[in-house]
Amino acid sequence: MNKNRRETLFAYSWSLPSLLLILLIVIFPILYTGYISMTNMNIYHWNNYEFIGLENYKDALLVFDNGFLTALFVTVLWTVVNMVLQLVIAFIMATLLNIKGLRLRNVYRTLLIFPWAMPGYVSILLWKTGMFNSQFGLLNQWMEKLGLEPVRWLGSDVIAFISCTCVNLWLALPFMITIIDGALQSVDRSFYESALLDGATWLERTRYITIPMIRPIIAPSVMITTFTTFKQFDVIYLLTQQVGSKTGANIHTILTYAYEKAFITNNYGYSSAISILIFGMLLLFSFVTNGRKEEN
Amino acid sequence: MSKKAKHTLLLVVVNLFFIVVCFFVLVPVLYAFSVSLNAENSLLGSDFSFLPRHMTLRNYRAVFTEKPVLLWLKNSLILAVATLVISLGTGIPAAYAFSRKRFPGRNAILKLLILLYAFPSLLSMTALYKLLSPMGLINTRTGLIIVYTGTMAVFALWNMKGYFDTIPVEIEEAAMIDGATQLEQVTKIVLPLAKPTIAVTAMMVLVYVWNEYIFAINFMTGSDTYTLAAGLYSLQATEMSGSWPIFSAASLIVSLPILIVFFALQKNMTEGLTSGGVKG
Repeated sequence: MNKNRRETLFAYSWSLPSLLLILLIVIFPILYTGYISMTNMNIYHWNNYEFIGLENYKDALLVFDNGFLTALFVTVLWTVVNMVLQLVIAFIMATLLNIKGLRLRNVYRTLLIFPWAMPGYVSILLWKTGMFNSQFGLLNQWMEKLGLEPVRWLGSDVIAFISCTCVNLWLALPFMITIIDGALQSVDRSFYESALLDGATWLERTRYITIPMIRPIIAPSVMITTFTTFKQFDVIYLLTQQVGSKTGANIHTILTYAYEKAFITNNYGYSSAISILIFGMLLLFSFVTNGRKEEN
Repeated sequence: MSKKAKHTLLLVVVNLFFIVVCFFVLVPVLYAFSVSLNAENSLLGSDFSFLPRHMTLRNYRAVFTEKPVLLWLKNSLILAVATLVISLGTGIPAAYAFSRKRFPGRNAILKLLILLYAFPSLLSMTALYKLLSPMGLINTRTGLIIVYTGTMAVFALWNMKGYFDTIPVEIEEAAMIDGATQLEQVTKIVLPLAKPTIAVTAMMVLVYVWNEYIFAINFMTGSDTYTLAAGLYSLQATEMSGSWPIFSAASLIVSLPILIVFFALQKNMTEGLTSGGVKG
């Protein structure tokens, strides 16, 4: 047996258990989801479902009232709003952390990182009950002290969207601050010194030195965060749409939408079609971003 | 005003700013902590203060005596250890093979794995349910272990492969010349060098199982089969207002191990995530 064939045999035998696991538990269910998406499987047709072709996809993409297109729009809006706020706030915080002579910076860093260290779903539930609850939530206690009317923070679409954004920022900013903070420290000081000699203002220095210098460093993390924001489920589901304690807001991202169609209204075929559409979009994104990475 | 005085003023303002920001960042957790220690049932009163006048550990005791938390803990631990053993047991040899060997199909499989990494397992929940239920694996630990290992398998392979790539292959070649077998090269040379990535991967698997609630509440039906995450979820969903102090105590207990792990491994975690194998 020659060396190449021996290497191949070795590689496949060592990776076989892992690949088999992935094939059976990851790939096969995805293919099966694709199959379910072409059937009318739902709570009445759990076992005796029929093949209905692309009906479910038509329902999702062509019937506006079904809500998928709205959810898609909300998801895009959610991703853009969250990413812009995250980058701007994290940049300001990281810049302030790097001000010369700030002795307590490491204390602040540790405290600011705290939300990242907490299990996400626990934090979200604490926000829901501790902060947003309309009777004994802290926010309404403060409102009362200020002599203002209590607010139902998760009660309607717009305010729930803002509340969810706040919680998401609270969860995600520590990571972004850490990344930008690290990137800022890697920028060579001498660039600033010569810019200062030329009389550049803070804004000019930021625009022409800092941002171009840190952009390639933070790009992969920003990409990953954009993906996770787009795929966000926990924040919106746990805050507004838990089974049995819906708050009245009706905002859906595509993931909570797919989940609701599957496990609450039990329309498995339709929900699987949504899943495949989401998967398709994610694949498209990864192709585009990977393509751009290779160009660079 | 002199330049120095200006800078001092700036520092005062920035310090004040950070003190206020840190307070607001910590408020939800501080509030829960304070509620969990408060002996008076003054939640609805407007005279709430962050330092309870009468402290009590009653809520913490109640978590352990009135709720099956220890049972949930046991369930979580069993799932976590089983998932960990399977993911690392299959992931390490695979990651090694993909890092060191060049063979037909390697690039295609690696590309496929990146794509799979983008797929949230939540989306194939229906299919998984439909596949596991005729095998009698719904409402069993085995079922959840299968789901969790599948979810972590792609991550484990990619993350460790990325680290193996950074270990110079020359060390192994030297050992091979000295007559070490392939297995000896891996166990005696590569594994000790790969400890950081194995630790980070193991931690990520444990944290994932510890925090996963959505599969747990859908695939497990009885509260005695719940994991900690599913149990905590059920505590808040069923008895919203009544048990808020107990819920906050339980939340903090469940978070504590994760907090300890995070701050102990903070450096590794941030480095492992930002410079590690999985990108995009």
